[in-house]
Amino acid sequence: MNILITGLITGSMLALLAIGFSLIFGVARIINIAHTAFYMVAAYCIFFLSIRLGLNPFLSMLIAVTLVTVTGLVVYKLVIDPIREHEGAVLIATIALAMFLQEVILQLFTGDYRSIDFMIGGFFTIGGYKIFYQQLLTFGVVLIILLALWFLLMKTRLGLAIRSMAEDREVANLMGMNESRLAMITLAISVALAGITGVVIGPLMVLNPHMWEDPLIIMMAVVVLGGLGSIKGSFVAAFILGFTEALVVFLVPTGAFLKGPVALIIMILVLLIRPEGLFGVAFEEER
Amino acid sequence: MAEPLLKVEAVSKSFGGLKAVNDVSFRMEQKEVLGLIGPNGAGKTTLLRLLTGILKPDSGSVQFKGKELVGRNIWNIVNLGVACTFQNMRPFRRLPIIANVMVSCLSPRSHGKGEWIKKVETKAMDALEFAGISDMALEKASVLSQGDLKRLEVARAIASDPELLLLDEPFGGLSPAETDLMAKSIRRLHKGGRFGRLHSEGPAMIIVEHKLQQLMKIVDRIIVLNFGTLLAEGAPEEIVNNPQVIEAYLGKGGDQ
Repeated sequence: MNILITGLITGSMLALLAIGFSLIFGVARIINIAHTAFYMVAAYCIFFLSIRLGLNPFLSMLIAVTLVTVTGLVVYKLVIDPIREHEGAVLIATIALAMFLQEVILQLFTGDYRSIDFMIGGFFTIGGYKIFYQQLLTFGVVLIILLALWFLLMKTRLGLAIRSMAEDREVANLMGMNESRLAMITLAISVALAGITGVVIGPLMVLNPHMWEDPLIIMMAVVVLGGLGSIKGSFVAAFILGFTEALVVFLVPTGAFLKGPVALIIMILVLLIRPEGLFGVAFEEER
Repeated sequence: MAEPLLKVEAVSKSFGGLKAVNDVSFRMEQKEVLGLIGPNGAGKTTLLRLLTGILKPDSGSVQFKGKELVGRNIWNIVNLGVACTFQNMRPFRRLPIIANVMVSCLSPRSHGKGEWIKKVETKAMDALEFAGISDMALEKASVLSQGDLKRLEVARAIASDPELLLLDEPFGGLSPAETDLMAKSIRRLHKGGRFGRLHSEGPAMIIVEHKLQQLMKIVDRIIVLNFGTLLAEGAPEEIVNNPQVIEAYLGKGGDQ
Protein backbone atom coordinates (compact mmCIF):
# COMPACT_ATOMS: atom_id res chain seq x y z
CA MET A 1 0.00 0.00 0.00
CA ASN A 2 2.81 2.38 0.87
CA ILE A 3 4.46 1.42 -2.35
CA LEU A 4 1.32 2.19 -4.26
CA ILE A 5 0.88 5.62 -2.70
CA THR A 6 4.50 6.61 -2.95
CA GLY A 7 4.65 5.29 -6.48
CA LEU A 8 1.64 7.28 -7.54
CA ILE A 9 2.87 10.48 -5.96
CA THR A 10 6.43 10.18 -7.16
CA GLY A 11 5.17 9.19 -10.57
CA SER A 12 2.84 12.14 -10.88
CA MET A 13 5.52 14.53 -9.69
CA LEU A 14 7.97 13.09 -12.22
CA ALA A 15 5.31 13.33 -14.91
CA LEU A 16 4.82 17.05 -14.31
CA LEU A 17 8.55 17.69 -14.25
CA ALA A 18 9.35 15.55 -17.25
CA ILE A 19 6.53 16.91 -19.38
CA GLY A 20 7.66 20.47 -18.69
CA PHE A 21 11.21 19.50 -19.55
CA SER A 22 10.09 17.72 -22.73
CA LEU A 23 7.94 20.62 -23.87
CA ILE A 24 10.67 23.21 -23.86
CA PHE A 25 13.14 20.77 -25.36
CA GLY A 26 10.70 19.90 -28.11
CA VAL A 27 9.77 23.43 -29.06
CA ALA A 28 12.99 25.31 -28.52
CA ARG A 29 15.62 22.53 -28.37
CA ILE A 30 16.66 23.84 -24.96
CA ILE A 31 17.95 21.21 -22.54
CA ASN A 32 17.03 22.97 -19.36
CA ILE A 33 19.19 21.61 -16.56
CA ALA A 34 17.77 24.35 -14.34
CA HIS A 35 14.28 22.87 -14.73
CA THR A 36 14.27 21.15 -11.36
CA ALA A 37 16.01 24.16 -9.81
CA PHE A 38 12.85 26.10 -10.54
CA TYR A 39 10.96 23.37 -8.76
CA MET A 40 13.20 23.87 -5.74
CA VAL A 41 12.74 27.64 -5.85
CA ALA A 42 8.98 27.17 -5.90
CA ALA A 43 9.14 24.89 -2.86
CA TYR A 44 11.20 27.48 -1.00
CA CYS A 45 8.83 30.23 -2.10
CA ILE A 46 5.96 28.43 -0.50
CA PHE A 47 8.01 27.79 2.59
CA PHE A 48 8.82 31.49 2.87
CA LEU A 49 5.31 32.70 2.10
CA SER A 50 3.28 30.31 4.20
CA ILE A 51 5.61 29.63 7.13
CA ARG A 52 7.64 32.81 7.47
CA LEU A 53 4.97 35.27 6.39
CA GLY A 54 2.09 33.15 7.53
CA LEU A 55 0.02 33.64 4.39
CA ASN A 56 -2.83 31.35 3.45
CA PRO A 57 -1.27 28.25 1.92
CA PHE A 58 -3.39 28.37 -1.25
CA LEU A 59 -2.64 32.04 -1.78
CA SER A 60 1.06 31.27 -1.29
CA MET A 61 0.79 28.50 -3.88
CA LEU A 62 -0.57 30.95 -6.39
CA ILE A 63 2.06 33.59 -5.65
CA ALA A 64 4.87 31.03 -5.68
CA VAL A 65 3.93 29.67 -9.10
CA THR A 66 3.53 33.15 -10.57
CA LEU A 67 6.82 34.28 -9.11
CA VAL A 68 8.71 31.29 -10.44
CA THR A 69 7.17 31.66 -13.89
CA VAL A 70 8.06 35.33 -14.10
CA THR A 71 11.60 34.57 -12.94
CA GLY A 72 11.83 31.92 -15.62
CA LEU A 73 10.71 34.32 -18.34
CA VAL A 74 13.07 37.07 -17.23
CA VAL A 75 15.99 34.68 -17.11
CA TYR A 76 15.06 33.36 -20.54
CA LYS A 77 14.98 36.85 -22.05
CA LEU A 78 18.23 37.95 -20.40
CA VAL A 79 20.35 34.82 -20.52
CA ILE A 80 19.05 32.22 -22.93
CA ASP A 81 17.53 34.21 -25.78
CA PRO A 82 20.76 36.02 -26.78
CA ILE A 83 22.58 32.68 -27.18
CA ARG A 84 19.71 30.61 -28.58
CA GLU A 85 21.65 29.77 -31.77
CA HIS A 86 24.33 27.90 -29.83
CA GLU A 87 22.77 24.82 -28.26
CA GLY A 88 25.91 23.92 -26.32
CA ALA A 89 26.14 27.37 -24.79
CA VAL A 90 22.48 27.21 -23.80
CA LEU A 91 23.07 23.89 -22.06
CA ILE A 92 26.01 25.30 -20.11
CA ALA A 93 24.05 28.44 -19.27
CA THR A 94 21.21 26.38 -17.78
CA ILE A 95 23.70 24.41 -15.65
CA ALA A 96 25.13 27.69 -14.41
CA LEU A 97 21.63 28.95 -13.77
CA ALA A 98 20.77 25.89 -11.67
CA MET A 99 23.89 26.37 -9.55
CA PHE A 100 23.17 30.09 -9.27
CA LEU A 101 19.65 29.43 -7.99
CA GLN A 102 21.02 26.88 -5.55
CA GLU A 103 23.52 29.41 -4.17
CA VAL A 104 20.88 32.11 -3.89
CA ILE A 105 18.65 29.77 -1.89
CA LEU A 106 21.64 28.75 0.22
CA GLN A 107 22.33 32.41 1.03
CA LEU A 108 18.73 33.25 1.77
CA PHE A 109 17.65 30.20 3.73
CA THR A 110 20.99 28.59 4.74
CA GLY A 111 21.60 24.90 4.16
CA ASP A 112 19.32 23.80 6.98
CA TYR A 113 16.66 21.25 6.23
CA ARG A 114 13.23 22.81 6.20
CA SER A 115 9.77 21.43 6.07
CA ILE A 116 6.41 22.86 5.15
CA ASP A 117 3.26 22.16 7.14
CA PHE A 118 0.59 20.14 5.42
CA MET A 119 -1.99 22.37 3.83
CA ILE A 120 -4.77 20.21 5.12
CA GLY A 121 -4.08 18.15 8.17
CA GLY A 122 -5.56 14.80 9.02
CA PHE A 123 -5.65 11.39 7.46
CA PHE A 124 -7.90 8.43 7.02
CA THR A 125 -7.11 4.78 7.08
CA ILE A 126 -7.77 2.05 4.56
CA GLY A 127 -7.01 -1.45 5.70
CA GLY A 128 -4.74 -0.17 8.42
CA TYR A 129 -2.76 2.15 6.18
CA LYS A 130 -2.65 5.86 6.82
CA ILE A 131 -3.39 8.11 3.89
CA PHE A 132 -2.84 11.77 4.59
CA TYR A 133 -5.23 14.24 3.06
CA GLN A 134 -2.18 16.17 1.90
CA GLN A 135 -1.15 13.20 -0.21
CA LEU A 136 -4.59 13.09 -1.75
CA LEU A 137 -4.49 16.82 -2.38
CA THR A 138 -1.09 16.59 -4.06
CA PHE A 139 -2.19 13.72 -6.24
CA GLY A 140 -5.48 15.42 -7.08
CA VAL A 141 -3.83 18.69 -8.10
CA VAL A 142 -1.34 16.84 -10.25
CA LEU A 143 -4.12 14.95 -12.01
CA ILE A 144 -6.06 18.14 -12.66
CA ILE A 145 -2.96 19.85 -14.03
CA LEU A 146 -2.18 16.87 -16.24
CA LEU A 147 -5.73 16.85 -17.58
CA ALA A 148 -5.64 20.60 -18.20
CA LEU A 149 -2.33 20.18 -19.98
CA TRP A 150 -3.69 17.40 -22.13
CA PHE A 151 -6.62 19.59 -23.08
CA LEU A 152 -4.34 22.50 -23.85
CA LEU A 153 -2.07 20.41 -26.05
CA MET A 154 -4.67 18.35 -27.86
CA LYS A 155 -7.66 20.63 -28.15
CA THR A 156 -6.47 24.18 -28.57
CA ARG A 157 -4.74 26.12 -31.30
CA LEU A 158 -1.81 26.89 -29.03
CA GLY A 159 -1.41 23.19 -28.32
CA LEU A 160 -1.44 22.34 -32.00
CA ALA A 161 1.19 25.00 -32.64
CA ILE A 162 3.34 23.59 -29.85
CA ARG A 163 2.99 20.03 -31.10
CA SER A 164 3.87 20.94 -34.66
CA MET A 165 6.83 22.99 -33.54
CA ALA A 166 8.03 20.11 -31.39
CA GLU A 167 7.95 17.77 -34.35
CA ASP A 168 9.67 19.83 -37.02
CA ARG A 169 10.70 23.36 -36.24
CA GLU A 170 11.64 24.34 -39.76
CA VAL A 171 8.41 23.12 -41.32
CA ALA A 172 6.35 24.74 -38.59
CA ASN A 173 8.15 28.01 -39.28
CA LEU A 174 7.38 27.62 -42.94
CA MET A 175 3.74 27.28 -42.10
CA GLY A 176 3.75 30.63 -40.39
CA MET A 177 4.40 29.69 -36.78
CA ASN A 178 6.21 32.43 -34.89
CA GLU A 179 9.00 30.43 -33.33
CA SER A 180 10.33 32.90 -30.79
CA ARG A 181 6.91 33.81 -29.45
CA LEU A 182 5.97 30.16 -29.16
CA ALA A 183 9.25 29.44 -27.37
CA MET A 184 8.42 32.12 -24.82
CA ILE A 185 4.94 30.75 -24.18
CA THR A 186 6.22 27.19 -23.93
CA LEU A 187 8.95 28.25 -21.55
CA ALA A 188 6.36 29.92 -19.35
CA ILE A 189 4.24 26.75 -19.33
CA SER A 190 7.27 24.58 -18.69
CA VAL A 191 8.57 26.65 -15.77
CA ALA A 192 5.08 27.00 -14.36
CA LEU A 193 4.80 23.20 -14.38
CA ALA A 194 8.07 22.96 -12.45
CA GLY A 195 6.73 25.57 -10.04
CA ILE A 196 3.44 23.76 -9.55
CA THR A 197 5.32 20.53 -8.90
CA GLY A 198 7.38 22.32 -6.28
CA VAL A 199 4.42 23.78 -4.44
CA VAL A 200 2.27 20.67 -4.38
CA ILE A 201 5.04 18.27 -3.51
CA GLY A 202 6.85 20.64 -1.12
CA PRO A 203 4.79 19.78 1.97
CA LEU A 204 5.59 16.08 1.49
CA MET A 205 9.31 16.67 1.20
CA VAL A 206 12.21 17.97 3.21
CA LEU A 207 13.54 21.14 1.67
CA ASN A 208 17.22 21.79 1.17
CA PRO A 209 19.17 23.70 -1.45
CA HIS A 210 20.34 20.50 -3.12
CA MET A 211 16.89 19.00 -3.50
CA TRP A 212 16.91 19.70 -7.25
CA GLU A 213 19.70 17.26 -8.03
CA ASP A 214 17.95 13.95 -7.38
CA PRO A 215 14.80 14.68 -9.34
CA LEU A 216 16.91 16.08 -12.18
CA ILE A 217 18.60 12.73 -12.72
CA ILE A 218 15.40 10.75 -12.40
CA MET A 219 13.56 13.20 -14.63
CA MET A 220 16.22 12.79 -17.31
CA ALA A 221 15.81 9.03 -17.03
CA VAL A 222 12.06 9.50 -17.48
CA VAL A 223 12.52 11.62 -20.57
CA VAL A 224 14.98 9.17 -22.08
CA LEU A 225 12.77 6.19 -21.28
CA GLY A 226 9.69 7.88 -22.66
CA GLY A 227 11.42 9.13 -25.76
CA LEU A 228 12.85 12.61 -26.15
CA GLY A 229 10.15 15.09 -27.01
CA SER A 230 7.25 12.67 -26.61
CA ILE A 231 4.76 13.91 -24.05
CA LYS A 232 2.82 10.68 -23.89
CA GLY A 233 6.13 8.88 -23.39
CA SER A 234 7.13 11.16 -20.53
CA PHE A 235 3.80 10.52 -18.86
CA VAL A 236 4.00 6.73 -19.05
CA ALA A 237 7.68 6.61 -18.19
CA ALA A 238 7.16 8.88 -15.18
CA PHE A 239 4.85 6.36 -13.57
CA ILE A 240 7.09 3.45 -14.48
CA LEU A 241 10.03 5.13 -12.80
CA GLY A 242 7.89 6.42 -9.95
CA PHE A 243 6.86 2.88 -9.06
CA THR A 244 10.36 1.55 -9.64
CA GLU A 245 11.66 4.12 -7.22
CA ALA A 246 9.01 3.25 -4.65
CA LEU A 247 9.78 -0.46 -5.00
CA VAL A 248 13.49 0.09 -4.60
CA VAL A 249 13.05 2.33 -1.59
CA PHE A 250 10.67 0.01 0.21
CA LEU A 251 11.92 -3.43 -0.72
CA VAL A 252 15.68 -3.08 -0.90
CA PRO A 253 17.60 -2.44 2.30
CA THR A 254 19.05 1.09 2.26
CA GLY A 255 17.14 1.48 -0.98
CA ALA A 256 16.77 5.22 -0.53
CA PHE A 257 20.41 5.59 -1.53
CA LEU A 258 19.92 3.44 -4.60
CA LYS A 259 17.12 5.29 -6.35
CA GLY A 260 19.52 7.55 -8.28
CA PRO A 261 21.71 4.69 -9.50
CA VAL A 262 18.65 2.63 -10.45
CA ALA A 263 17.31 5.50 -12.54
CA LEU A 264 20.68 5.88 -14.23
CA ILE A 265 20.87 2.15 -14.92
CA ILE A 266 17.45 2.29 -16.54
CA MET A 267 18.54 5.28 -18.59
CA ILE A 268 21.70 3.53 -19.79
CA LEU A 269 19.80 0.33 -20.61
CA VAL A 270 17.27 2.30 -22.65
CA LEU A 271 20.03 4.11 -24.50
CA LEU A 272 21.69 0.77 -25.30
CA ILE A 273 18.62 -1.20 -26.28
CA ARG A 274 16.16 1.32 -27.63
CA PRO A 275 17.73 4.76 -27.89
CA GLU A 276 14.54 6.37 -29.13
CA GLY A 277 12.68 5.38 -25.94
CA LEU A 278 9.17 3.98 -25.67
CA PHE A 279 7.36 6.52 -27.81
CA GLY A 280 10.18 8.45 -29.41
CA VAL A 281 10.83 8.79 -33.10
CA ALA A 282 13.94 7.02 -34.29
CA PHE A 283 16.71 9.50 -34.94
CA GLU A 284 17.11 8.44 -38.55
CA GLU A 285 13.76 9.96 -39.28
CA GLU A 286 14.76 13.36 -37.99
CA ARG A 287 16.60 15.77 -40.17
CA MET B 1 2.15 50.18 -64.37
CA ALA B 2 1.53 47.61 -61.72
CA GLU B 3 4.22 46.50 -59.32
CA PRO B 4 5.46 42.99 -60.13
CA LEU B 5 4.39 40.36 -57.60
CA LEU B 6 7.93 39.16 -57.09
CA LYS B 7 11.15 40.94 -57.95
CA VAL B 8 14.36 38.98 -57.48
CA GLU B 9 17.46 41.05 -58.01
CA ALA B 10 21.07 39.88 -58.26
CA VAL B 11 20.62 37.19 -55.62
CA SER B 12 23.68 35.08 -54.79
CA LYS B 13 24.34 32.32 -52.29
CA SER B 14 27.51 30.31 -51.77
CA PHE B 15 28.15 27.20 -49.72
CA GLY B 16 31.87 27.19 -49.01
CA GLY B 17 33.49 27.73 -52.39
CA LEU B 18 30.45 26.61 -54.36
CA LYS B 19 28.27 29.30 -55.83
CA ALA B 20 24.92 27.60 -55.59
CA VAL B 21 22.99 30.62 -56.82
CA ASN B 22 24.97 33.24 -58.68
CA ASP B 23 23.59 36.68 -59.49
CA VAL B 24 20.07 35.57 -60.42
CA SER B 25 17.43 38.16 -61.27
CA PHE B 26 13.88 37.71 -62.50
CA ARG B 27 10.39 39.10 -62.09
CA MET B 28 6.97 37.58 -61.76
CA GLU B 29 3.59 39.11 -62.46
CA GLN B 30 0.39 38.53 -60.50
CA LYS B 31 -1.10 35.07 -61.03
CA GLU B 32 1.72 34.03 -63.32
CA VAL B 33 2.83 30.41 -63.29
CA LEU B 34 6.54 30.09 -63.66
CA GLY B 35 8.48 26.91 -64.29
CA LEU B 36 11.96 26.66 -62.82
CA ILE B 37 14.09 24.01 -64.47
CA GLY B 38 17.71 23.05 -64.75
CA PRO B 39 20.00 20.02 -64.45
CA ASN B 40 20.63 18.46 -61.06
CA GLY B 41 22.56 20.74 -58.77
CA ALA B 42 21.69 23.85 -60.75
CA GLY B 43 20.53 25.65 -57.62
CA LYS B 44 16.76 25.42 -58.07
CA THR B 45 15.93 24.25 -54.57
CA THR B 46 18.46 26.69 -53.12
CA LEU B 47 16.72 29.50 -54.97
CA LEU B 48 13.35 28.47 -53.54
CA ARG B 49 14.84 28.31 -50.07
CA LEU B 50 16.18 31.82 -50.50
CA LEU B 51 12.70 33.03 -51.39
CA THR B 52 11.10 31.47 -48.31
CA GLY B 53 13.75 32.75 -45.93
CA ILE B 54 15.08 29.32 -44.91
CA LEU B 55 18.39 30.50 -46.34
CA LYS B 56 19.65 34.06 -46.32
CA PRO B 57 21.24 35.24 -49.57
CA ASP B 58 24.83 36.50 -49.43
CA SER B 59 23.81 39.45 -51.56
CA GLY B 60 20.91 40.71 -53.63
CA SER B 61 17.31 41.49 -52.85
CA VAL B 62 13.96 39.72 -53.02
CA GLN B 63 10.87 41.89 -53.10
CA PHE B 64 7.37 40.52 -52.76
CA LYS B 65 4.61 43.04 -53.48
CA GLY B 66 7.15 45.81 -52.93
CA LYS B 67 8.29 44.46 -49.56
CA GLU B 68 11.83 43.29 -49.00
CA LEU B 69 11.92 39.65 -47.89
CA VAL B 70 15.65 39.35 -47.18
CA GLY B 71 16.24 39.62 -43.45
CA ARG B 72 12.70 38.71 -42.48
CA ASN B 73 11.84 35.71 -40.33
CA ILE B 74 10.49 32.64 -42.06
CA TRP B 75 7.07 32.92 -40.41
CA ASN B 76 6.93 36.55 -41.35
CA ILE B 77 7.36 35.71 -45.01
CA VAL B 78 4.65 33.06 -44.84
CA ASN B 79 2.32 35.62 -43.36
CA LEU B 80 2.99 37.95 -46.25
CA GLY B 81 1.62 35.24 -48.52
CA VAL B 82 4.45 33.01 -49.71
CA ALA B 83 3.99 29.28 -49.14
CA CYS B 84 6.05 26.32 -50.26
CA THR B 85 6.10 22.55 -50.45
CA PHE B 86 9.09 20.32 -49.93
CA GLN B 87 10.80 18.18 -52.51
CA ASN B 88 11.17 15.34 -50.01
CA MET B 89 7.96 15.57 -48.07
CA ARG B 90 8.15 16.52 -44.45
CA PRO B 91 4.79 15.93 -42.80
CA PHE B 92 4.36 16.05 -39.03
CA ARG B 93 4.31 12.28 -38.86
CA ARG B 94 2.93 12.01 -35.37
CA LEU B 95 0.00 14.32 -36.03
CA PRO B 96 -3.21 13.34 -37.79
CA ILE B 97 -3.44 14.49 -41.38
CA ILE B 98 -6.08 17.06 -40.59
CA ALA B 99 -3.86 18.53 -37.85
CA ASN B 100 -1.01 18.79 -40.33
CA VAL B 101 -3.10 21.13 -42.42
CA MET B 102 -4.57 22.93 -39.41
CA VAL B 103 -1.11 24.13 -38.44
CA SER B 104 -1.06 26.12 -41.67
CA CYS B 105 -4.45 27.59 -40.89
CA LEU B 106 -3.15 28.89 -37.56
CA SER B 107 -0.92 31.50 -39.12
CA PRO B 108 -2.27 35.02 -38.59
CA ARG B 109 -2.59 35.30 -42.36
CA SER B 110 -5.23 32.68 -42.90
CA HIS B 111 -7.56 33.42 -40.02
CA GLY B 112 -8.84 36.16 -37.80
CA LYS B 113 -7.18 35.97 -34.38
CA GLY B 114 -9.05 34.13 -31.68
CA GLU B 115 -10.92 31.87 -34.03
CA TRP B 116 -12.08 28.65 -32.44
CA ILE B 117 -10.33 25.45 -33.32
CA LYS B 118 -13.50 24.04 -34.89
CA LYS B 119 -13.44 26.75 -37.54
CA VAL B 120 -9.77 26.10 -38.18
CA GLU B 121 -10.66 22.46 -38.65
CA THR B 122 -13.29 23.33 -41.25
CA LYS B 123 -10.79 25.37 -43.23
CA ALA B 124 -8.24 22.59 -43.08
CA MET B 125 -10.89 20.14 -44.27
CA ASP B 126 -11.57 22.38 -47.28
CA ALA B 127 -7.91 22.27 -48.20
CA LEU B 128 -7.82 18.48 -47.79
CA GLU B 129 -10.89 18.11 -49.91
CA PHE B 130 -9.29 20.17 -52.60
CA ALA B 131 -6.19 18.01 -52.48
CA GLY B 132 -8.39 14.91 -52.59
CA ILE B 133 -7.33 13.22 -49.35
CA SER B 134 -10.12 14.36 -47.06
CA ASP B 135 -11.28 10.77 -46.49
CA MET B 136 -8.06 10.06 -44.62
CA ALA B 137 -8.19 13.19 -42.48
CA LEU B 138 -8.04 11.42 -39.13
CA GLU B 139 -5.25 8.97 -39.93
CA LYS B 140 -1.71 9.64 -38.83
CA ALA B 141 0.35 11.26 -41.55
CA SER B 142 2.83 8.40 -41.41
CA VAL B 143 0.42 6.05 -43.21
CA LEU B 144 0.22 8.09 -46.41
CA SER B 145 1.66 6.89 -49.70
CA GLN B 146 4.18 8.92 -51.64
CA GLY B 147 1.53 10.43 -53.86
CA ASP B 148 -0.78 11.27 -50.99
CA LEU B 149 2.09 12.89 -49.11
CA LYS B 150 2.56 15.20 -52.09
CA ARG B 151 -1.11 16.03 -51.88
CA LEU B 152 -0.76 16.70 -48.18
CA GLU B 153 2.12 19.07 -48.94
CA VAL B 154 -0.09 20.94 -51.38
CA ALA B 155 -3.01 21.03 -48.94
CA ARG B 156 -0.76 22.45 -46.24
CA ALA B 157 0.65 25.06 -48.56
CA ILE B 158 -2.69 26.31 -49.88
CA ALA B 159 -4.23 26.33 -46.39
CA SER B 160 -2.07 29.32 -45.50
CA ASP B 161 -3.88 31.13 -48.31
CA PRO B 162 -0.78 32.15 -50.29
CA GLU B 163 -0.47 34.62 -53.11
CA LEU B 164 2.73 32.98 -54.24
CA LEU B 165 3.04 29.23 -54.05
CA LEU B 166 6.43 27.54 -54.43
CA LEU B 167 6.16 23.90 -55.46
CA ASP B 168 9.36 21.88 -55.29
CA GLU B 169 9.01 18.88 -57.61
CA PRO B 170 5.28 18.29 -57.16
CA PHE B 171 5.48 15.31 -59.54
CA GLY B 172 8.65 13.84 -58.05
CA GLY B 173 8.32 10.13 -57.33
CA LEU B 174 4.74 9.94 -58.58
CA SER B 175 3.36 7.36 -60.99
CA PRO B 176 2.09 8.66 -64.34
CA ALA B 177 -1.51 8.44 -63.11
CA GLU B 178 -0.70 10.31 -59.92
CA THR B 179 1.22 12.88 -61.91
CA ASP B 180 -1.84 13.53 -64.07
CA LEU B 181 -3.99 13.99 -60.99
CA MET B 182 -1.52 16.38 -59.43
CA ALA B 183 -1.21 18.37 -62.64
CA LYS B 184 -4.98 18.68 -62.76
CA SER B 185 -5.07 19.86 -59.15
CA ILE B 186 -2.46 22.49 -59.84
CA ARG B 187 -4.32 23.79 -62.90
CA ARG B 188 -7.57 23.87 -60.98
CA LEU B 189 -5.87 25.65 -58.11
CA HIS B 190 -4.51 28.23 -60.50
CA LYS B 191 -7.93 28.96 -61.90
CA GLY B 192 -9.24 29.45 -58.37
CA GLY B 193 -13.01 29.22 -58.12
CA ARG B 194 -13.33 25.61 -57.00
CA PHE B 195 -11.38 26.40 -53.88
CA GLY B 196 -13.39 29.55 -53.56
CA ARG B 197 -13.80 29.78 -49.84
CA LEU B 198 -10.14 30.39 -49.36
CA HIS B 199 -9.23 31.81 -52.73
CA SER B 200 -11.06 34.32 -54.80
CA GLU B 201 -8.31 33.83 -57.34
CA GLY B 202 -5.61 31.22 -57.66
CA PRO B 203 -2.13 32.07 -56.43
CA ALA B 204 0.89 32.72 -58.60
CA MET B 205 3.23 29.76 -58.64
CA ILE B 206 6.82 28.82 -59.15
CA ILE B 207 7.14 25.14 -59.98
CA VAL B 208 10.44 23.29 -59.90
CA GLU B 209 10.12 20.10 -61.90
CA HIS B 210 12.06 17.59 -63.93
CA LYS B 211 9.08 16.10 -65.73
CA LEU B 212 9.15 18.74 -68.43
CA GLN B 213 6.30 17.44 -70.57
CA GLN B 214 3.85 17.79 -67.72
CA LEU B 215 5.34 21.07 -66.63
CA MET B 216 4.99 22.62 -70.08
CA LYS B 217 1.24 22.18 -69.97
CA ILE B 218 0.89 24.16 -66.76
CA VAL B 219 3.31 27.04 -66.92
CA ASP B 220 3.15 30.41 -68.65
CA ARG B 221 6.87 30.96 -68.67
CA ILE B 222 10.03 29.06 -67.82
CA ILE B 223 13.36 30.09 -66.42
CA VAL B 224 16.36 27.81 -66.67
CA LEU B 225 19.17 27.64 -64.13
CA ASN B 226 22.54 26.07 -64.80
CA PHE B 227 25.41 26.06 -62.29
CA GLY B 228 23.58 28.67 -60.27
CA THR B 229 23.23 31.20 -63.06
CA LEU B 230 20.20 32.13 -65.11
CA LEU B 231 20.66 30.44 -68.46
CA ALA B 232 17.47 31.28 -70.29
CA GLU B 233 14.02 32.70 -69.76
CA GLY B 234 10.98 32.54 -71.99
CA ALA B 235 7.80 30.82 -73.11
CA PRO B 236 7.83 27.00 -72.92
CA GLU B 237 8.14 26.55 -76.70
CA GLU B 238 11.12 28.87 -76.89
CA ILE B 239 12.86 27.11 -74.05
CA VAL B 240 12.64 23.62 -75.51
CA ASN B 241 14.20 24.84 -78.72
CA ASN B 242 16.88 26.95 -77.08
CA PRO B 243 20.27 25.42 -78.05
CA GLN B 244 21.90 26.53 -74.81
CA VAL B 245 19.25 24.77 -72.78
CA ILE B 246 19.52 21.60 -74.80
CA GLU B 247 23.27 21.71 -74.34
CA ALA B 248 22.97 22.17 -70.58
CA TYR B 249 20.66 19.18 -70.32
CA LEU B 250 22.31 16.83 -72.83
CA GLY B 251 25.89 18.02 -72.89
CA LYS B 252 27.71 19.39 -75.92
CA GLY B 253 27.27 17.22 -78.99
CA GLY B 254 26.35 14.08 -77.11
CA ASP B 255 28.83 12.35 -74.82
CA GLN B 256 32.18 12.69 -76.54
